[in-house]
This record gives sequence, structure tokens and C-alpha cells, in this order.
Amino acid sequence: MKMKIGIPKAFLYYRYGELWQTFFQEIGCEIVTSQDTNRAMLLEGAKDSIDESCLPAKIYLGHVRSLIGRCDHIFVPRFENFGKNDVMCDRFMGLYDIVRNVYPEASLIGFDLAATEHKSQWQAYLGLGKTLGKGAVDILLALRRARLVQEAADQKRQEQQTGLFQENGIKILLAAQPYLIHDPYIGQPLAAMIREQGAIPLYSDHCCRRQCRQRALEICGNLYWIMNKESVGAIAMHRHQVDGIILLAAYPCGSDALVNELVLRKVKDVPVIQIILDEQQSQAGLATRLESFIDILKERRRATA
Amino acid sequence: MDIGSISTKGVVLDQAQQVIAEEYIWTEGNPIAAVKSLLGSLKESLGKLNEDVEVCAVGTTGSARKLAGVMLGADAVKNEITAHGVGTLSRYPDARTIFEIGGQDAKLILINNGVIVDYAMNTLCAAGTGAFLSSQAKRLGIAVEEMGDMALRSLAPAKIAARCTVFAESDMVHKAQSGYRKEDLVAGLCTAVVTNYLNNLGKGKVIQPPVVFQGGVSKNPAVARAFEKETGFPVIVDENSHLMGAIGAAILAQRAAAGKVFDFRAAERTFSTRAYECGGCANQCEVVCFYQDGVLLDTWGNRCPNYDRKKAALVS
Repeated sequence: MKMKIGIPKAFLYYRYGELWQTFFQEIGCEIVTSQDTNRAMLLEGAKDSIDESCLPAKIYLGHVRSLIGRCDHIFVPRFENFGKNDVMCDRFMGLYDIVRNVYPEASLIGFDLAATEHKSQWQAYLGLGKTLGKGAVDILLALRRARLVQEAADQKRQEQQTGLFQENGIKILLAAQPYLIHDPYIGQPLAAMIREQGAIPLYSDHCCRRQCRQRALEICGNLYWIMNKESVGAIAMHRHQVDGIILLAAYPCGSDALVNELVLRKVKDVPVIQIILDEQQSQAGLATRLESFIDILKERRRATA
Repeated sequence: MDIGSISTKGVVLDQAQQVIAEEYIWTEGNPIAAVKSLLGSLKESLGKLNEDVEVCAVGTTGSARKLAGVMLGADAVKNEITAHGVGTLSRYPDARTIFEIGGQDAKLILINNGVIVDYAMNTLCAAGTGAFLSSQAKRLGIAVEEMGDMALRSLAPAKIAARCTVFAESDMVHKAQSGYRKEDLVAGLCTAVVTNYLNNLGKGKVIQPPVVFQGGVSKNPAVARAFEKETGFPVIVDENSHLMGAIGAAILAQRAAAGKVFDFRAAERTFSTRAYECGGCANQCEVVCFYQDGVLLDTWGNRCPNYDRKKAALVS
């Protein structure tokens, strides 16, 4: 019987989803993903979290919890950095230990990714595969295949988005962490509201990540959170192709609080608003802010036409 | 009509967009009753005019805009930022900056060439809004309407931190216990509202004159004066500064008019709401059902159309 690996559909799933699924399938495992985020999961996750934890971390715990008993191991990787000035939020460093302590009954598997400590991506996945009893060659072939699948999927999303930039409608760049933008419970309803009002949402993570990290330097030279670099870089790349920018943040995210403030102060030639999401976020407050912003963007277009 | 969290405002405009009837009442947590009572008073004021008046369009804004919009079959249902901008521009076409402080929201609207180009709004908390002032007034045992004049009598305003209502309260209690007079405390609160507003909403924004200050809190002259002191610009407070949202909603309705005459008897129907938690899926949406004479008119709060219709159709 195939080993069942549970993958929480939260956090970096929205960055590496295809890679992880392909990797585990290639080494002969069966995948169980959690459901799309819903309110029950958020509430369960919040109950199991300390109250100072950030909204997406609470959601993550809700996803892990829902996988307990449905698989042999739950996959909870630890991401520390991709190099000296390309670090991840501390939350990703502590995630494995948090989950292990909150749900001691769950069997976890994962890896440590910290390029500055010689724990590269290859080494991380090699170790992961070995704990599942696979040979080095199989693991490396699986990883190569998985990376190709992920790259192809990323490429496809970028191309689709490039097409949207050519559209005539009001275009709004959602600049945020991918796990906020694409979460079906917190970010996607916002994107749906944007569409309902006749505007086009564009996503900062559907842009070339390598290019984004480069272009981020135009706005700030010493950011070191890699994922913030990517969303800031998307702003640098596309600020003149969109009508407005929405900075989405989750309460109380430290890196977003700092970096969004920086963007609000430095990006002056295009309308920018920040929307902060929280557990209690009422749809009404969100609708008012969004509707006003889109009204402004429409008026600006009319005035310049 | 501008149905806010604290107060409900209504105006009737003639074709030249001049106010011919107006009313301002407390919402008291019951927007349906507030809208009904407001309609009654507006009808009464119209009855006192020398000519027959036909209302040919209705617009709603404010946090209960949707509810009131359904109740009145409104032609325009618009967010507060746009309504306030439109209202103010009809009176001050040259305005560049609007400060608006209401019951639970504070807004900053920037205008260029008669077009709203940017805005800021308080995020998660209501510190530094009307709710903050009225809770502190209650604490000091004075009416919120008296705060402005009282503050202007102060010679030595107390320094109070207004970043958070909880801190402000402890700050204020501390100052009171150390011997500050009431007017100094109130003056400190009014200044704190302004510093908090400018720190929160004004940061990074260029404030240009003419500056118009409106919303319920604009009726407080000490807050208006503190704005002048902090920004260095004269601050215009219109005699209808509390009605700008309603005026804007009326103008938007005029533009969107569908050509049907509004029937004031809308106020006589029975409206009710009922909220329940939909158990249809794990999202457990809180669905608000809105009924007219016992018949379901609309629902909101549901993320999908699959809410429990049987449950929704029942008024209890």
C-alpha cells in the first residue's frame, strides 16, 4: 500500500504546491491535501494558536489539524533562508516545532532549508526522501521532475497574467504574500469583489520571481525577506501598467507591516492602499474600502481621458 | 440618506441641489427605526413648504447603506468616500483636502482638479473617531456636544496619548487624578484626536488647501481649531458639515434617477431583520435576512447563494 502524505493547503503550498505534489508522487507516495480554507478551519486553528500568532499561521494550524488521522505523515517543512540576504519570516523557521508541540499526536515529516548553513534545496529533499526509505537516484530524479512541473506551472500563470496587463479595464495589482492572495477564504473573496466591480485583479506572485527580486532594489536596496522582495519587485515592474495597487497584509504580520509602510511612503506615482485582514474582518468594511478605491481609479481614468 | 453607526442624516435637495429639508437623529443601533423616523420628519418638513414636492430619486450611504437602500428601493447606494467627496465638491468645487471624522470611521480624501485622487481610512480600530470622544465624554460626565466649547476655555491643555482608546483612558485618568481641570482634559482629548488622525491617515500624504472638515466631529470647534494649528491651513467647516454624506448621496441619486416618484408610505411598511448562522457548509456564514411585511426581500453576509432558504424565509 502506498504511503499517504498529507499536505496542508496553506502558507507555502501557494508557492510550491505543484513541486511538492509531484515530488511525493514521483517517489511513490499518495497525496492527501487539506480542503480549501473555510471558517471552521480558521476557528479551529485560532483555538490552537497563541493569540499573537498571525492570521495565516492560525489558518495553517487549522489545515494541519484537519489532516490528522487522514494520512500517515503530514508534511511540514522548515524554510530559513535561500542565502545571506534572502531570508524567510521567522514563522517559517518555527513552523515545524510549533506544529510538533501543538499536535504531538501527528506524525510529521519535513526538511530544513537554510542555504547559509549548507542545507540547500537538493540536500533538503534528499534527506526528506531518505526518511521515507528512497534511494538517492530516485529522489534526485523525482526532484528534477517536480521542479520542472512547478516551473512550467509558474510560467503558465505568468503568461496568463501578461495577457491581462494588455486588457483595457481598470487593473489593480494585489501585492502581497501568495498565501494571502490565493487563500480561498481570505484573499480570493477580495479578488472576487474586485472582479464584481468590473476591475481586473493582478497578482504580485504571478510575475517572474527572479526578475522581481532584482527590480525590488529600485524601491528599496536592503530588504532581506525574500517574499517581500518579490512583492515589492512586482510593484517596481508593473506600477505603470496598473491603475492602482492594493497592499494586502494579515494582522499582525511584522514583515508586511514594515515593508508595506515603506511602499506607501516611497511609491507616489500610483494610488496605493493597504488592506489589513484579520479574523474579525467584516465583509462590509472591506467592501467600503474597495468600492471607494475603485471609484477613485475610475474617476482618475475619466479625468485623464 | 446617510445612515452611520452613531447618527442618521437625511436631506431633500431641489433640482438646483439646494437643501430644502434636513434631519439628523441618533441611530441608536437600530437603523430601520432611524430610517423610518427620519422619513417621517422629512415628510413633515416638506409638508410645511408652500409648494408640493415630489421626491424623484433616493440615495443611501453610510454603514447601513445597503439595508436602507433595500428598504427604500434606492436609485443609488454608494460608499461613504465617494458620497462625501461628491457632496463637498458640490459646495466647494476648489476643495483639495477633506477631513471627515464620523462615529466609527475617519477618512482623509485628497482631491485634484475636482477628482478624488486618493484617500485613507482608519484600519482595524476606531481610536480617534467620534466613538472615542463620546466614550471619554461619558467618562467625564459631560455631553459630547459640550466638549468643543469647554475645550476652548482651557488655558493649559493636558497632553493625552490618543493612539489607543485604552491608553488614552488610563492617560486621562492619571492626568485627572494629578489635578488637571476638566476643560484641560477635554482640550487634550480634542488635540489628541487631531494628532492621532494626522499620524494615522495623514502620514506620507500631502495636505493642500482649501481644507474642508466634516462629519459629526466637525461640530466640535476645538477639534477644528486643532486641525488649523497642526496643518497651518484655515479649515472650512460648512454649516451642513454633518450632512455632506447625505447631500452627496442625494446628488448621486439625482444622476442615477430611474424616473419613479418615491412614496413616503415606504416608512409605514413593517421591516424586520433576522440573522442566523448558515450551516450549509464549513464557512458557517452569518446570514442577515431582510423582510418587508414578512416577505424576504434580500440577504447579505452569505458568501455563496446556497444558504438555507427555508430557514431564511421564516420570520420569527
